[in-house]
Amino acid sequence: MTGSLPTVAGHDHQGRPPSDPGSSTGVITGVGRGGRGATIVTVTTTAIGAPPRGAAPRPPLVRPRSGRLLAGVATGTAAHLRMDPLIVRVAFAVLATTGIGVVVYGLLWLTMPVAAPGEEPAPGRVELGPGTGRRQLLILVVLGIAASAAIGQIVQTGGALLLPLILVAAGLAVVWRQLDADRTLSVPAVRWALAGGVVLAAGGVVLLLASTGQLANARNGFAATLVILIGVVLVTAPIWRRLLDSRGEERAARIRSEERAAVAAHLHDSVLQTLALIQRHADDQQAVSRLARGQERELRAWLYDPKVVREGGTWAGLVAGMVADVEADHALIVDPVVVGDAPIDEDLAALGAATREALVNAAKHSGATAADLYTEVTPERVAVFVRDRGKGFDPGTVPDDRRGLRDSVAGRLTRLGGTAEVRSAPGEGTEVELVLPRVAS
Amino acid sequence: MSAPRVFVVDDHAMVRAGVRAELGDDVTFVGEAPDVPTAVEGIRATVPDVVLLDVHLPGGGGRAVLETLRAELPAVRWLALSVSDAAEDVIAVIRAGAKGYVTKTISGPDLLDAVRRVADGDVVFSPRLAGFVLDAFAAGAPTAVAQEATDPGLDLLSAREREVMQLLARGYTYREIGSRLFISVKTVESHASNVLRKLQLSNRNELTRWAATNRLL
Repeated sequence: MTGSLPTVAGHDHQGRPPSDPGSSTGVITGVGRGGRGATIVTVTTTAIGAPPRGAAPRPPLVRPRSGRLLAGVATGTAAHLRMDPLIVRVAFAVLATTGIGVVVYGLLWLTMPVAAPGEEPAPGRVELGPGTGRRQLLILVVLGIAASAAIGQIVQTGGALLLPLILVAAGLAVVWRQLDADRTLSVPAVRWALAGGVVLAAGGVVLLLASTGQLANARNGFAATLVILIGVVLVTAPIWRRLLDSRGEERAARIRSEERAAVAAHLHDSVLQTLALIQRHADDQQAVSRLARGQERELRAWLYDPKVVREGGTWAGLVAGMVADVEADHALIVDPVVVGDAPIDEDLAALGAATREALVNAAKHSGATAADLYTEVTPERVAVFVRDRGKGFDPGTVPDDRRGLRDSVAGRLTRLGGTAEVRSAPGEGTEVELVLPRVAS
Repeated sequence: MSAPRVFVVDDHAMVRAGVRAELGDDVTFVGEAPDVPTAVEGIRATVPDVVLLDVHLPGGGGRAVLETLRAELPAVRWLALSVSDAAEDVIAVIRAGAKGYVTKTISGPDLLDAVRRVADGDVVFSPRLAGFVLDAFAAGAPTAVAQEATDPGLDLLSAREREVMQLLARGYTYREIGSRLFISVKTVESHASNVLRKLQLSNRNELTRWAATNRLL
């Protein structure tokens, strides 16, 4: 490294006119430091070490979707302040005794947005496990008991209004909590909880009115309000209807356009690329037909084939992949027909290798441009037939240098307890039959 | 042998032109149609020997044409032609009454052979179709679930029929199958016709279920 230094500097000086000395010195110094190495290491260390102290932006003040105890206000605040959630919680609890804490908590709950999915603020040092839901419930219950105990005392001292108010508050809290966690209404439990909350709040209101003796008045007012509300709903019904309809249409349009984008992306990556390649290779007939064939297979698989064939793991998938490979490497078009299917095990993988060898053999020696591949999976056996309509040969007079079929195919099969048979005659084409018995399982 | 009178139904002008060019003078073209209504009208007017029918057509698919006209024109033979190798398409069009199924990648001479064979009243099995048949009839082969009012023979392939189907799937021609099994070509053809009849008439639940689910897993 150091040895090359002068050369670099020398070149630099030769290459540049002397009028530009500043930049060339800069280059040399840069190389020199790099050569020594130590400087760079120090720099990197500082660069990495720096951010935790203030350089990185604070996480936004949002309420996490998981790891909440109550509404996630404390957790979110703690993450924002980079403090332990426990400290924030204790602070809230202490403040709550004076009443301010409750108000602050409520305000924060109202104003803090819920974190976008996947953008959870780091949950701090306290890792809340999957049991949070249950813990959340437990804490709510404990809070409830404490609150009702406190209320009981207050009720005894006087205010008959408090119980109904508490009921209303509890009902509202339940409704809010359900709607707040953006759970879908399709879950029955959420719907029941919502209904319960509404009943609780309504009961509280009725109780409140009854205990203040305003029930009769309220009934009149309620009836009037109800009539007005129904009237308003009836009058504006078309608008609501249209709103709902347009929302549905929007969603359908969005789904359609997403689907179209996905299809377009796929076609772009596959078909359009192949068409471009075909145009470029327009003179080379073999290349064109190979490109077209490969693309056809790919598109066909995308459109029609079952998932197992596309993703592999079974015999049919193995055969499809193998045919694709052979067609890509050799000028042979293979039309595979697969009946039945089975998950791949070691024996089937070996049978697949033997089948590939038979196909390659047909491609190399038969002189045919197409071959039929038929394979059948039954409970007792897996059979493979590779048929070509090429020139064929006399199996008795195979020269020793053509050992592909004998060793690679027949040898493999015999080791697995199967059989391999080659039927051929000059001018008649060749058929290789491979049979592998299946272990009863 | 007189040249069979052929009607081509395909929504792609290029395919129609290609088929005409490939079959050339060996058949008489009496008409062509790009969609279901014109096809129904044209076939009614010309009553061809063979209709080459695209499976995917605007206005209901080739099956709609078949179902409209099959009872009305029993003398017309149908050969389905498609780019699709999807099993449900193949089985559906065969069950609707087509005498055979070839893909559009078929070579000119093979297509001519298939048209002639269908015109003579035979059936045309491509290796792939034979594979589908074996797959369909193998699915839960002799289940003891007896279905009332059906001929149990329709739900099973005989050993010989299975053999013929296997050889077809392996790429053998009728003549090769005949010499391999020591039977006449006519017998091979009758086995193939029987299999097709079974495929069309069997109302085995497995068959339809297989066709519906097999390629859509």
